[in-house]
Amino acid sequence: MRSTVAWRLLRHDRSATAGALLGVVAIVFLVGQQLSILFGLLQYMSVLVDHSGADVWITSASVRNVDAVNLIPGQYLERVMGLPEVAWAAPILFGNGLMRTADDSFEAVRLVGLHRPRLQGGPWALAQGRVQALLDLESAAVDRLDLKKFAHPALGSLTEINGKRVRLTAITEGARAFQGTLVFLPLDQVRDMAQTPPGRYSAILVGFQPRADQQTALARLRALLPECSVLTTAELSRRTQLYYLTNTGIGGSFGFSTTIAVLIGIVIITLTMYASVLQRTRDFAVMRALGGRRRDIAVIVLCQAVIVGGIGIFLGLFLLAALLNATRGSDIPSFLPAVVPPLLAGITLLVSLLGSLVALRKALQADPASVFH
Amino acid sequence: MADLRLENIARDFYDGRQLRRVLFPINLTFKPGELTVLAGPSGSGKTTLLSIIGLVLRPSEGRMWLSGREVTGLADDVASKMRLATYGFVFQQPMLIDGLSVQDNILLALGIQGAHIPGVVRQRVAELLTSLGLADTARLPPQMISGGMKQRVSIARALIKDPAIILCDEPTSALDAENGQVVMGILKKIAVAEKRLVVVVSHDARVFPFADRLIKMENGTVVADTAAGKPQGLDVAS
Ligand SMILES: Nc1ncnc2c1ncn2[C@@H]1O[C@H](COP(=O)(O)OP(=O)(O)O)[C@@H](O)[C@H]1O
Ligand SMILES: [Mg+2]
Repeated sequence: MRSTVAWRLLRHDRSATAGALLGVVAIVFLVGQQLSILFGLLQYMSVLVDHSGADVWITSASVRNVDAVNLIPGQYLERVMGLPEVAWAAPILFGNGLMRTADDSFEAVRLVGLHRPRLQGGPWALAQGRVQALLDLESAAVDRLDLKKFAHPALGSLTEINGKRVRLTAITEGARAFQGTLVFLPLDQVRDMAQTPPGRYSAILVGFQPRADQQTALARLRALLPECSVLTTAELSRRTQLYYLTNTGIGGSFGFSTTIAVLIGIVIITLTMYASVLQRTRDFAVMRALGGRRRDIAVIVLCQAVIVGGIGIFLGLFLLAALLNATRGSDIPSFLPAVVPPLLAGITLLVSLLGSLVALRKALQADPASVFH
Repeated sequence: MADLRLENIARDFYDGRQLRRVLFPINLTFKPGELTVLAGPSGSGKTTLLSIIGLVLRPSEGRMWLSGREVTGLADDVASKMRLATYGFVFQQPMLIDGLSVQDNILLALGIQGAHIPGVVRQRVAELLTSLGLADTARLPPQMISGGMKQRVSIARALIKDPAIILCDEPTSALDAENGQVVMGILKKIAVAEKRLVVVVSHDARVFPFADRLIKMENGTVVADTAAGKPQGLDVAS
C-alpha cells in the first residue's frame, strides 16, 4: 500500500515529479556523457600498448608513459630471445615528424616504426588496404578519422615525412592516440626520418610461449634486464593512462565537470522533492493520525525517491545510449566500459535518495495533532 | 468495546512568551454505545482534549486509561499502532488525499503501516460506501464528489478499521444543514447500534439532539455533563 501511495502521489503531482526526474536524467546523461569521453580519451592514451598483442613491453628504466621512453640497445633482443619462455620479441621505434598534407601544408605526426616482417605493434584494424602493404619500405598508414588533417589524400598517393618519400598504402580504423596523430611506417624509415642511431629501439615487445608461466617468465625477464623497465602490457597501459590523467588537466577537468553535474542534479532533486513534500504536509499529518508511524512516512518518501531515481536512470541511460550510438565512429572519443552504466545507475540512485533527505526531514515533521485544526 | 478514563488530564501550551494552561485538570469517563457531544465556545479546549484522547497530543499532566491499560505518554510508535488498531477519526475537513481514489483513501487507513490488504476488503469498502449512500464512487478521485460525500468518505475511512473508538472534530461545520443531519445520523447509529465509543466535538446546537451525553466546556474546564436530557452531577476537578 505504501509504495502504491508513493507512486500515486507522484503521478498526481506531475510538475514536481517531472522536475525531480529532470534532475536524475541530467545526472545520468551528463555524467555518462562525460565519462564516455574520458574513457574514450583513456583509450587513446594507451591505444598502441593495448593493441600491441604483446605480453610484455621492455623499455628504458623507470618508464612513466609509453611516449617518454629513451632508446634501448638492440642487443637486448637476442638476450630476450634466449629465454625459453619467450616465443617472440620484436622492436618498435617511435619518432616525431612533419608530414606534407595533400594541400601542401604540414601536419605534426607521431611516427610508429614497425619491424618487418612481423610488423608487431602495428595496425590492428584497417578501413582500407592491407597490413602487408607496410612491408614495403616507402609505405605508410594513417587513420581514417585523421584523413581530414591530411586534406584527404587518396590511397596510394605520394607525400613526404621529414623529407622522405612515403606512399599512403593503408588506412587504419581506431588507431587514434591522445599524444599525436599516428603514422605507421617500417622501422627503418622511422630511423631515417627521426635520425636515431642504428641498433637502438624505443621498446621491445615480447610474446610468451602459450604454456609459459607468466609470473616466472616476467621475473626472469626482469632479472635478465635489470637496467630496463619490464612491464606487462596491462601495467604499461595503466601507467600511461594514470600519467596523463594526473599530469594534464584532464583528470581534474573531468572530475570537476562530473562533480558539478552531480551537484546540480542533487540540488534539482532536493528542491523539487522538498517543494512537493511541502504541498503534502497536511496529507502526511493525516497519514500519521490514521496510525502511520514516522517510519511509514519515510517509506513513502524514500519509495518516491527510488521510483523517480529508477525512471530517471532508465531515461538517462536510454538518452545516453542514443547519443553514443549517434556519435559512434565519429572523431568524438567515446567509450563506456560495461561496468560504468550499472555503477552510474547505483550512484544516481544513491544521489536520488540523498536528494530526498531534506524532503524526508520535512515530511517526518508532519504533526498528527495538526489535522484537528 | 472499549472505555476511556481520564484522570486529572491537563495541558499547557507555550505561546511564545509564557506557558499558558488551556486545559485544567479534567476527570471524565467515556463509555461505548453512546454518542458523546463535546460542546463549548471556540477556544474552550475541545480540540485539545480530543487530541489527547486521540493519542496525537500528550497531556502535560494527568493519566489516561484505555480499557484498563494506561495510555499516558506512550512512545510514538506505540501510539501510532494504537491509533491504527483502535481509533477512527473524522475531521472538520474531510482531509482526503489527492491522487488517491475514494477506495484507496479508505484502504490507506488499513495499509498505512504496510499491512497486506486482502481482496475481500475491497468488497467491504464497496458495502460500506453503499451503506453511506456512496455507491459507485470507489474509483472516483475525491475532487469529483461533493463536500457532503467527501465527509461521508472520511467516515468510511474511519469505519473500515472497525474501530472501538471514533473521534470527530466539528464533522458538520463544513457541511450544509441537510448533510450535517445525515452525517450525525450515521454517527449516532454507529455509536448505539454498533456499540462504539463515539465522541463528537461541536459548537453547533443542531447536533445536540443526537447526543446521548452532552459535555460542555468553557475556558479549559468542563462546566456541564448531562446524559440524554437529565442533568448529572458535575465531574470537574477544580
Ligand atoms: N498547538 C498550540 N499551541 C499553542 N496554543 C494552542 C495550541 N493548540 C491550541 N492552543 C490554544 O488552546 C486553546 C484551546 O484551543 P482548542 O482546543 O483548539 O479550542 P476549541 O477546539 O475548543 O476551539 C486556544 O486558546 C488555542 O489558542
Ligand atoms: Mg476546535
